[in-house]
Amino acid sequence: MITFLQHVVDGLSVGSTYALLALGLTLVYGVMGLINFAYGMIIIWAGYALAVATTLDLPFWIGALSAVSVATGLSLVLGVLAFRPFLNAPPATLLITSFGVELALQATAVLVFGEPARVIATPMSFGHVWRVHGLRLPAIEVGSIVLAVLVIAALDFLLRHTALGLELRATAENRSIARLFSVRPGRVVLVAFAISGAIAGLVSIPYFARLGAVTPRGDLYPTINAFIAIALGGLGSIRGAIVGGLALGMLQTIFDVTLPSSILGYQDAFVFAVIILILVWRPGGLSGRVPEFT
Amino acid sequence: MIRLALRSDRGLGVRAFVGALTGALVLAVGVSAIAMTLDRTGVVGSSIIILFGINAIMVVGFQTFVGNTGIMSFGHVAFMALGAYAAGIVALPKPLKAAFLPQLPHWLASIEFSLPLSLAVGGVVAMLVALGFGVFVMRTSPTAISIITFAILVIVNEVLSNATSLTRGTETFSGVPADTTLGWVFGVFVAFVVGAAVVKWSRFGLDARAVRDDPIAAQASGIRVVPSRVYLFAISAFITGVGGALWAHFLTAFSPSSFFLDQVVVIVAMAILGGLESMSGAVVGAVALSVINEGLRRLEGGFSIGVVHVPALDDVTDLILGLGIIALLRWRPHGLLGDTEVTVDAPARDAALVTGEGQTDGGSPVP
Repeated sequence: MITFLQHVVDGLSVGSTYALLALGLTLVYGVMGLINFAYGMIIIWAGYALAVATTLDLPFWIGALSAVSVATGLSLVLGVLAFRPFLNAPPATLLITSFGVELALQATAVLVFGEPARVIATPMSFGHVWRVHGLRLPAIEVGSIVLAVLVIAALDFLLRHTALGLELRATAENRSIARLFSVRPGRVVLVAFAISGAIAGLVSIPYFARLGAVTPRGDLYPTINAFIAIALGGLGSIRGAIVGGLALGMLQTIFDVTLPSSILGYQDAFVFAVIILILVWRPGGLSGRVPEFT
Repeated sequence: MIRLALRSDRGLGVRAFVGALTGALVLAVGVSAIAMTLDRTGVVGSSIIILFGINAIMVVGFQTFVGNTGIMSFGHVAFMALGAYAAGIVALPKPLKAAFLPQLPHWLASIEFSLPLSLAVGGVVAMLVALGFGVFVMRTSPTAISIITFAILVIVNEVLSNATSLTRGTETFSGVPADTTLGWVFGVFVAFVVGAAVVKWSRFGLDARAVRDDPIAAQASGIRVVPSRVYLFAISAFITGVGGALWAHFLTAFSPSSFFLDQVVVIVAMAILGGLESMSGAVVGAVALSVINEGLRRLEGGFSIGVVHVPALDDVTDLILGLGIIALLRWRPHGLLGDTEVTVDAPARDAALVTGEGQTDGGSPVP
């Protein structure tokens, strides 16, 4: 029983990180139909903010603050320069654009910071482990779950109870009609990019606290998992992102535990294959809306 | 009088169909002839020409799916990898098999295919995998399909890295006979360009483009969405798989990490430069980017290229490519050719038939 609970906690903690990543992606997808391939690179750049703070021997909270600011700023800049001009472009064009952005950001990271990994130091308290009745609760796992809950609550408040949230939801629902009600799509898109970047910055803190270092080519892992999470949950839906992220984390944990060690190397292949089968069953994703074919 | 033209539609009737195919043939033969001449004169090294030819095949394969369905795919590197490994496994000389792959099943260990057979195996394996995934995947939305093609890339990469008895895992797979010659590359190239034109102007290609432009109207007209996509996915995987096989027989050594996103970059850039919706554009884009690339290399000064040239890009090139892709899509989203194809206008038997088929203005929005 304890082992089972332990796996649930582990799965939740991984899943909550994916859920946050997926939220950041899905917000932008909702308002402009872009799945941002460069999203992982934003997290990497936030990681470099943490690494620079480590190098300069600054307190961790300053590093964390600068990571969030770097991610938010970068996401905004990308939104204005690279993505907003494509507001009405078809999805493939948007996706390829973000692919170009990812390349450029990655090449810049390599040129500025070099290929070798940069160390990120985290406070001792991050390594603390609570034990409750034999259950291991590492501070970092609990922290990611708490962070996810807080971000989701804040986002939920923003979307439901503020004028800005209403504009975001309206734009996601139907951009041209939102426009008739004097919602300015360009501005809403920027808000979405800012929130998306802020979430990336927040995720980067537990993410890199776990990894302990950042490399310029480490962006694919967060990107692919966030992509899969939103496809699994349902594109463009907030609930879908959360459900998809948690489900993905759980699936990975399940396969991690149950696969015999001889085929453990195929873990991702199994997880993705299961997800493809789920999508055959529900083409619109777990959260239900069925945008079949379109 | 017979003349070449750029057209975005082929017109009706057998003569127009033949004209469209002849246009593709002329383009492919022309490009191949220039490439062969460059090789003969020794202006450009033949390994560069071969790499160009293989890249051009990949771009044609990529464009066949992405251009006609409007769905971006990351999975094509996976098909390239499958083609390369499948060809490598069947073509590896028996003594090397015994040395490198001792756990190979007997039926694989006892064969040693020549180049044409091994190319076919590479293409068919890639196509079967694409079919297997395609029938499941193509039901969702284009965006979700793009995401899943990325997952396919990860799955294939993981399988190749772990199926040690077949692929040596993450270790370098080496010893593939270096059989890829200019003649083979450009023979295959011409065949595939014409093949891609047949596919594009066939019923299936038309169905896929109709779904791309308006899925609901297409369905209302009785077009079945899933088969139209699966068919093109499989065909384009076959082309890419053969390209990967040629690549394997050219480089002779590779590992799973040779096939990841950096391979997609060049192909995507070529396809966009030429015009994503045009198969002729894929060829023209491949030519243009290769010329630019080679020019830049020469400008950088006296950089001679060895026989084993891995198309690894340094970071400044990556930066330029990334920015170039964005700039192209921003200011010239239709690329060089838009959605037009090189077509041979048949001599008009009845002038009334050809009126109304004018030169296009560069095409409708890119998918």
